[in-house]
Amino acid sequence: MSSFQDARTLPRDTVLSPDLAIVGGGPAGISLALALAESGQNILLLESGGRTFEADVQKLYEGSQTGVPYIALDGGRLRYLGGSTNHWGGWTRPLDKIDFENRKGMPYFGWPFRRDAIEPYFARAQSLIEAGPWIYDEADNVISGNGPLLRLGPGGIYTSWFQFSRTRDNNLPTHFGDRYQADLIKAARITPLLNANVTAIRLSPDAGRVTQLDVATLSGNRLTVKPRYTVLAAGAIENARLMLASNDVTTAGVGNGNDLVGRFFADHPIPRNVATLVLFDEGISPLYFNNVALPDGAVMRAVLSPRQEFMRAHGVAGSLTTVENEAKLDAFATAAVVTTAQALGVDASHAKAYSLGCGMEMAPDPDRRLTLRTERDALGMPRLNLHMTISDDDFTLFRQTLTELGRQLLAAKSGMLHISYNRRDEWLEAMDWGNHHLGTTRMHGDPKQGVVDANSKVHGIGNLYVAGSSVFPTYGSSNPTLNLVALTLRLADHLKKVMA
Amino acid sequence: MTRRGVLAGLAAVLALAGGAAWKFRLFAKHYPSTPYDDLLDQITDREPAIVFGQAARNSLPGAAQLAAELRRDRRSLGERAAAEPGEAQIAEVAGWVVPQSVARYAALAAQA
Ligand SMILES: Cc1cc2nc3c(=O)[nH]c(=O)nc-3n(C[C@H](O)[C@H](O)[C@H](O)COP(=O)(O)OP(=O)(O)OC[C@H]3O[C@@H](n4cnc5c(N)ncnc54)[C@H](O)[C@@H]3O)c2cc1C
Repeated sequence: MSSFQDARTLPRDTVLSPDLAIVGGGPAGISLALALAESGQNILLLESGGRTFEADVQKLYEGSQTGVPYIALDGGRLRYLGGSTNHWGGWTRPLDKIDFENRKGMPYFGWPFRRDAIEPYFARAQSLIEAGPWIYDEADNVISGNGPLLRLGPGGIYTSWFQFSRTRDNNLPTHFGDRYQADLIKAARITPLLNANVTAIRLSPDAGRVTQLDVATLSGNRLTVKPRYTVLAAGAIENARLMLASNDVTTAGVGNGNDLVGRFFADHPIPRNVATLVLFDEGISPLYFNNVALPDGAVMRAVLSPRQEFMRAHGVAGSLTTVENEAKLDAFATAAVVTTAQALGVDASHAKAYSLGCGMEMAPDPDRRLTLRTERDALGMPRLNLHMTISDDDFTLFRQTLTELGRQLLAAKSGMLHISYNRRDEWLEAMDWGNHHLGTTRMHGDPKQGVVDANSKVHGIGNLYVAGSSVFPTYGSSNPTLNLVALTLRLADHLKKVMA
Repeated sequence: MTRRGVLAGLAAVLALAGGAAWKFRLFAKHYPSTPYDDLLDQITDREPAIVFGQAARNSLPGAAQLAAELRRDRRSLGERAAAEPGEAQIAEVAGWVVPQSVARYAALAAQA
């Protein structure tokens, strides 16, 4: 039995020598620690925050931005035990097979392995996230009595499914810190160290190994960690920051010999009211509208997704389109609906309209990147600037998916679709973001194209690994946490072997 | 004849007259005749088509050419509208995804 330790109360200049240091106590760090609890290795889990929110700790996340407007760097994440799951939405869906593929005509797409490589870890990841039994796209067979699925003609769009991390007492979904702190304490070989900010990764003179981590507290204490192995699990923004800022041996930063760290940042754009769905003769099933709880504990919601064959054939990226609110039709819209329904020979006198939202996949862009600024935080670490971009192609491709949905509704004579935006400024005006930080230490077999290899090991450094969605080389449209936890469990299996 | 019988008979006559009026479109709105009535008569309700067609007409040819093109396809508006989504013959009018012929007939209505 261990317990939480507080870095502020350890003697100054204490040196800790665990087998494995995990930097960050969010879902990635906690899942990794728990997965290795019985491995016989001593694990130090270094968490910047405490067990609750503290404003001065959160301020360490502040940074600046250029380019397309985006959420403030200290606004879209939380810096204390449990990380951003302290305010996540719990939306969960596995990446699709196609998300791992190299795509013709789509630069930078693809992972160094297929989806099969993480599939064996999905069940445990699902259980850690507490999203109930694994159902997803089998839901069509499981769900009945909640109204029929949207009638679509044959084509590229189908009804797919989200599941949700379980809500407790109508409260928020699984907060990894609260939920797993007892398990962390129970595990004899895990030492969770709170208020411990890793401020530098120190390399051997040949830059081939991590020799030590510098740890600082906001109260002024300083510690040193000399681990055999290190895993960065500080979130996709902070992983890159730590690597870039640790530039005493290699001036470009750790693992940054090919100027890739911090590049390819991504999120899921979530533009509001992307379209209006009109159904001619029936309201939509509540399955699309609300989260529906099944008796076995799964909470599901139907969503419209492009089929993989459609994506391949048309070079379309992923998207998940949700039904949001009932909508009103103005005179012109009514004219459009009446004219079309009459031509199709359908009665639209009871037509209903709904606004649609969506989560889109962005194409990878090396210029969408994090860079260090000269300004420093309270611990002396350089702050970050995020240069945010989104390409017109991202909107154009998503529009293709919406057009296909409209076509299929017409083919089924069940309804029709109005696409809200055409111009870039309209899309940007409607833009929200998922707070899903991705891509800044991308995975690729070739060190010239990726920061980490297929095992999540930093190229060229023998004992440094990265966990979390910073390693995603392409992003898919699914929310990341289930997938990053699965990937982390795979990393745990790899570490068991190499550390033994 | 009883009072009740008279009322029932009257109701029956009214119902028949209503049916006939519907069938023969006695109360349907009449539009000035145009050279395109063979096409426009296929639109059930021309008012909304005109409204919608205003947005469609800009990207389409003028009425004469449009009518000539529409006549080339022997199928009715209904047949075409039902078939076109399956044939990927889709148009987008002010954001509305519609069968191509719906956009074209509506544009014609707006110009006639
Ligand atoms: C508002 C919101 C809603 C979201 N909704 C969803 C959703 O519905 N579905 C979904 O899948 N995902 C969602 N996400 C994303 C999800 O929260 C993240 O994918 C997930 O938390 C990432 O896990 P992580 O462990 O990699 O990083 P984080 O959760 O960011 O955890 C990193 C941890 O590292 C610590 N840390 C940072 N720097 C240091 C340092 N230098 N030294 C030591 N410790 C450090 C932090 O304090 C933190 O605890 C949402 C996020 C937000 C903000």
